[in-house]
Amino acid sequence: MTIVAGYAPDERGRAGLELAAMLARSAGEHLVVCVVIPAPWVPGMARIDTEYQAFLDDRAHRALDQARADLPSDVTADFSVHSARSAPSGLLEVAAQHDASVIVLGSSTAGVFGHVALGSVTGRLLHSSPYPVALATRGFRAGPEVRVTRVTVAYGGSEQADDLVVAAAVVASRMSASVRLASFAVSPRPPYTSGVGRLADDARVREWAASMETAAQKALQPAEDVQPVPHPLEVVIGYGEDWDEALDDIEWRDGDVLTVGSSAVGPAAQVFLGSRAGKIVRHSPVPVVVVPRAAAQELAGQ
Amino acid sequence: MASLREQILRRKPVTEMAAETGADTERSELKRTIGLLPLSAIGIGGTIGTGIFFVLSEAVPIAGPAVVWSFVFAGVVAGLTAICYAELAGAVPVSGSSYSYAYATLGEIVAMGVAACLLLEYGVSGAAVAVGWSQYLNQLLDNLFGFEIPEALSQAPEQGGIFNLPAVILIALCALLLIRGASESTTVNAIMVMIKIGVLILFIVIGVTGWNSDNLSDFAPFGFSGVTAAAGIIFFSYIGLDAVSTAGEEAKNPRRNLPLAILIALLTVTTLYVLTSLIAVAAQPTERFDGQEAGLAQILEDITGSEWPGTLVAAGAVISIFSVTLVVLYGQTRILFAMSRDGMIPELFHKVNARTLTPVPNTIIVAVVIALLAGLIPINFLAEMTSIGTLVAFIVVSIGVIVLRQTHPDLPRGFKVPLYPLTPILSVVGALWIIQDLRPVTIYVFLIWVAVAMVWYFVYGRSHSHLGRHEHVGLAEDVEP
Repeated sequence: MTIVAGYAPDERGRAGLELAAMLARSAGEHLVVCVVIPAPWVPGMARIDTEYQAFLDDRAHRALDQARADLPSDVTADFSVHSARSAPSGLLEVAAQHDASVIVLGSSTAGVFGHVALGSVTGRLLHSSPYPVALATRGFRAGPEVRVTRVTVAYGGSEQADDLVVAAAVVASRMSASVRLASFAVSPRPPYTSGVGRLADDARVREWAASMETAAQKALQPAEDVQPVPHPLEVVIGYGEDWDEALDDIEWRDGDVLTVGSSAVGPAAQVFLGSRAGKIVRHSPVPVVVVPRAAAQELAGQ
Repeated sequence: MASLREQILRRKPVTEMAAETGADTERSELKRTIGLLPLSAIGIGGTIGTGIFFVLSEAVPIAGPAVVWSFVFAGVVAGLTAICYAELAGAVPVSGSSYSYAYATLGEIVAMGVAACLLLEYGVSGAAVAVGWSQYLNQLLDNLFGFEIPEALSQAPEQGGIFNLPAVILIALCALLLIRGASESTTVNAIMVMIKIGVLILFIVIGVTGWNSDNLSDFAPFGFSGVTAAAGIIFFSYIGLDAVSTAGEEAKNPRRNLPLAILIALLTVTTLYVLTSLIAVAAQPTERFDGQEAGLAQILEDITGSEWPGTLVAAGAVISIFSVTLVVLYGQTRILFAMSRDGMIPELFHKVNARTLTPVPNTIIVAVVIALLAGLIPINFLAEMTSIGTLVAFIVVSIGVIVLRQTHPDLPRGFKVPLYPLTPILSVVGALWIIQDLRPVTIYVFLIWVAVAMVWYFVYGRSHSHLGRHEHVGLAEDVEP
């Protein structure tokens, strides 16, 4: 299995590269750093675009040189240039060639630092990739020697989530990281004028949290069978009036990775980011891995 | 087995309540951020607009132009009770409605009685407000498109219709929003309040041009009893002042600001109401109010001879009453939620949907019942039932203040009512006075309703009460405050 990192010679590329290095280091997997350039047109008589292709090629190789320089020294990687109709399809082709375990990308430069922001490439992959997609937060830097120490699973209580929990446990076990299930209780407080007090409604949220915690503990049961058991297996609940607050409510640290599952709306084999998962991804302060249902099932099956 | 006396008087320990509402989670740390003016605004926003838009056509035929005094009278009683409410809210640090306060101070059976009153204050007023909404909707449709929903589908059976469809649709929409988990944000709420106040000011400014002193010549045709009888109906439009007390946990310097905010809110609301009613009774003869729908909009049209002011008022009413219905429905579901957690009503009422975090069965049941009321019962009866329920709940709160001062004189109180014991006593007397002038049928129905609640308590609540089942009957004094 291989980790495929999409690279661009800018700030996005660096963050993605750091994340890919951290994942490769933790999982002991091979890393392929790849730059996707536009495919040449059907060759005509005049071969008019040779010069342009040469320019692109040169630029790509210079980008890879930079990637080589940026890559932490304790991780070895292959570097390749791939031409394709579009960046997402190119990345998918490379991933297919290497039977990738995950595609790693950086955040869009349009987002805020420290959060994941979706751009056009990540947006497309998050709604169609058959491979798990890992996204670095904008400006992400793992630092040398940092490994994944904890895998947080965004848990919504659905049945598909059970597979994801086991899959996360399997991956965490390989990385000797711990697993934690996180549920997010996002609920605005009532308007003052409802006359029941602003705190009264917290009872409802607690009711929900209690049932969610029971479900999460149950979902963790099969994870106990994973050898070696990733410890500790814990359940946390983030409270907030909006998603930002709720995600901030649980503690995060270096070496954290957040995993979210694919929506049940999309096809099982591909990533399809649901509305809630989308909100979690956008507000996450740590790198996020989005896993298609089929991949989660496969991992859970091991 | 606890004796009956112990059972019905068992009180819920304050710390247990705090733990249940989540006061021990960090989520519950509300900062004291609300200053005096925003606090008053909460009171004004909570009060205006529930009744003034449609209560005149019920109240003026009873009191004549002296309805102005009915507003003052109802306002004074509402203010007294709101101040008592503030003391109780400060003394018993639990969050919630007067049900929670009663459970912590006066015992289980009284709490059940208060809950029965709150079902009227919220559930029935929700129905009343929805019926009022349908009147203004009809007016708006007529003005904009020259089309009205036929009588059969927009009136209660007693008034010649079959079913009040718009009111039912409104409640269904609100229930849908609540189930989806979209509660009204503070900003939206503030905008709604601005619309409500704007509409009333527009009415006053334009309405003054239609002033005709002849309409005031027979000022109090039905004497003082007419004034108090009308006050009974009008009291309904003062409900909501207690919102100030429920915001007390976030108020800066509550000792000073709570009573002051209640006073400011009360003065503002009463002034607006008095001006609105004065303009209205001066604009048209008393007889015209009887059965007049969407009254404020109608009056403006008659005065100006053009449609646009009426259309504006109707549109403002349609928008703002929608938000009022949403909030009322919300409050009702949450009160039942709290009761269900206490074991007073079946567990179904505190089932929370995993995905939306909302109590779905609870919301559906509440919506169906309120929709049936709104569809089938005329508005004046609904308004009177709401008033009597609220008045009785307020009486209990005022008595609660006196009881708590006797039983727990040392309890730290964030705020004490001035002129104790005069204030709570006056509040009780004022409320009783208004009640005795309500129509006998209202009082009978109310007594039957409370009796039903008591039967329910003895058959179900008494044995299912979690407090009783856990045998965890720590009284309020066992627990350090």
